[in-house]
Amino acid sequence: MKDIIYDVAIIGSGASGGAVAYQLCKAGYKVVILEKGQLIQRDEFSKDELAYCRRDIVTPNLFDEFHTIEEKIDGKWIETPTYQSGWSFWNGNIVGGSSNFMSGMFHRMHPDDFRLKTIYGKIDGANVEDWVINYNDLEPYYRLAEDLVGISGYSKKHKYEAPRSRLKFFQPPTEENNIVNLFDKCCNKLNITPLVTARAVLSKNIGKRDACYYSNFCGSYGCSSGAKGSSREAFISPALATGNLTLLSNSHVTHLDSSEKIIKQANIINNITNQKLKIYAKFFVVASQAHESVRLLLNSANKFHPNGLSNSSGELGKNLIFSAGGAGGGTFYKDDMSKIDFNNLMDRGLFINRSILDWYIKDDWWKPKEKGGLVEFMFEHQNNISRAVNSRYKDNRLLWGEELAKKLKDKFTKTKTLRFEIFNDWLPTDDCFISIDKKRKDKYGMPVGKLRINAHPKDLEIAYNISKKVKIILKEMGAKDIYSSISAVPPQNLIAGGCRFGDNPKTSVIDKNCKSHDIKNLFIADASFMPTGGSTPYSWTIYANALRVGEEVVKVLQKKL
Amino acid sequence: MNRRFFISFSTYTFIGASNLLYSNNIIFNKFQFRKDIYNIIESVQKHFFPQDSQLPFASEFSSIEFLVSTIYHKRFDKDIRNFVISGAKDFISQENGQFINYNREDKEIALRKFENSSRGSKWLSRIMILSMEALLSDPIYGGNFRKSGWIALDTKGGNPKPKSRYINL
Repeated sequence: MKDIIYDVAIIGSGASGGAVAYQLCKAGYKVVILEKGQLIQRDEFSKDELAYCRRDIVTPNLFDEFHTIEEKIDGKWIETPTYQSGWSFWNGNIVGGSSNFMSGMFHRMHPDDFRLKTIYGKIDGANVEDWVINYNDLEPYYRLAEDLVGISGYSKKHKYEAPRSRLKFFQPPTEENNIVNLFDKCCNKLNITPLVTARAVLSKNIGKRDACYYSNFCGSYGCSSGAKGSSREAFISPALATGNLTLLSNSHVTHLDSSEKIIKQANIINNITNQKLKIYAKFFVVASQAHESVRLLLNSANKFHPNGLSNSSGELGKNLIFSAGGAGGGTFYKDDMSKIDFNNLMDRGLFINRSILDWYIKDDWWKPKEKGGLVEFMFEHQNNISRAVNSRYKDNRLLWGEELAKKLKDKFTKTKTLRFEIFNDWLPTDDCFISIDKKRKDKYGMPVGKLRINAHPKDLEIAYNISKKVKIILKEMGAKDIYSSISAVPPQNLIAGGCRFGDNPKTSVIDKNCKSHDIKNLFIADASFMPTGGSTPYSWTIYANALRVGEEVVKVLQKKL
Repeated sequence: MNRRFFISFSTYTFIGASNLLYSNNIIFNKFQFRKDIYNIIESVQKHFFPQDSQLPFASEFSSIEFLVSTIYHKRFDKDIRNFVISGAKDFISQENGQFINYNREDKEIALRKFENSSRGSKWLSRIMILSMEALLSDPIYGGNFRKSGWIALDTKGGNPKPKSRYINL
């Protein structure tokens, strides 16, 4: 092992690491992926709620590895390690990363999202910057990702839909629950345009991947047919087939050793055997998810880079953002249905595949243009245990016996809840960043990442305004108990920022091709490059950009070798 | 956000008397689970999921066996495990070890009294969560006998089913 010098070592096998590996291996370069998690094969995935959703089976034990979260409480920043809160910021630490567990609602960013500062102006308290590439630069990679990941959908012209160089989707949409007929009808009545959500789930067999079999348990679970376009299915598997990829699972990178301009090696520890190894490569690509990539670079500080690798600007870790907004829902009761046959709602496993883009941009003639957000619709997750657990109280009193039985029976057999999720910009601010916690270390003796989390008031205002409009749709559909929840608590699964890309080495961490300004053989390929995230889930953009970065690494290797 | 603060926070103060109360109990089963703790948790679960309910009886879905094997699994949160045990001790103490001998009405009164404290409320909630996990997890974990929990609620688990517990880690 010590004698091998790979062309490229990639740290992390999730959406970005897998996409970069695919591009490099297809181009004939020898690549090693260093993944801290284990390999779970397609046919090993099951719909085991207890294992995947209620225990940390695919994420580290929080007593061994954790983060410190800083939140403002009563005007003071309060630190809480996640082993105390139970609020895990790990996401699917297995080969393929969290992409194994996504529900696959995919959206492209709008062209305006690349020029937020120029088009929408400065926002007080927010560090908004334009991207150094534009939509047209990324569009070919959105399209490439669509084909390689296997994104199904139906394109309908909409003023806020990002332009597509090919109108038709790679595959038609997955099958839909009948509720979409009611949804579409109600939206049309309200003069709202319902759109079919693109989804990283195959509706038809292709190659070695089978179409979706509508298991009813998609998000939070690995896919056993290969329909879900995880990094493992879409990129790592074909990359392995080239013979150019070495996949080292259970290999946790603790730090990178560098000189002034070059990373020499990655130091890894096998988390099963505790064996330590050094991995040598000509180029290194960090793709460990934004907060862990930043932590690795900060923990790799040395005499040449006392503030961490690629941090001459002092920007490393700053401007952390999340793919978030708000959520809510409404419930349909079997005994109170007039607009749709309740039995239709109970068809298992079919998707809703509906989103609304009408409020993505607020473009009223009487005031300056403002960004808004998009809304996604889905049924309440069908996890049996969690649905029961969430029903255990009535009026703050624990239910048991016949009262509980009746409530659970009604919940499971006489109600169906339609949920919505709002995505709007999480504006980057000085109060949302990643650093390392000098007081706390993980089981490997490395300082853990510290995430200070705060949302800009504008984020909450936009989400709140959109939620009011969504509730009108639910009401029109006949839903009851309509609610929304808008807060500054972020989701842990879609994190970006911390390694902003830009042309100026004094104000950014990496250049427009996601290559370090400071270190010649370092690329950062995950979502940490994003200065802003658009009003969308980041997944498609992460895949697209990583394919772009992979191509850039190939170009650099072609020049060098 | 500090979940463990709530777990450890106690509104009860127990002194030597409770130790005397436990001293005659034997160590129960391979997990060193004391019999009095086992018995009171089992009794609480039977009250939560009684025989004459629309849901399966606690014993039918092996709720106590599931709970013991679950909280001693290496992947289970050790703080919650300790809380399950210490909360049971608190409840035993509140009822002077007599809870398991009560009739249903007296059990109801005792449980609602325990629920009035922050710690008691959280402990009962935790026992309920573990019981629901037994009722509705895949039968491979030892609860949900012959899918009785799923059948009672007219629901199903997803396919494929697990072939081993906790992905055989």
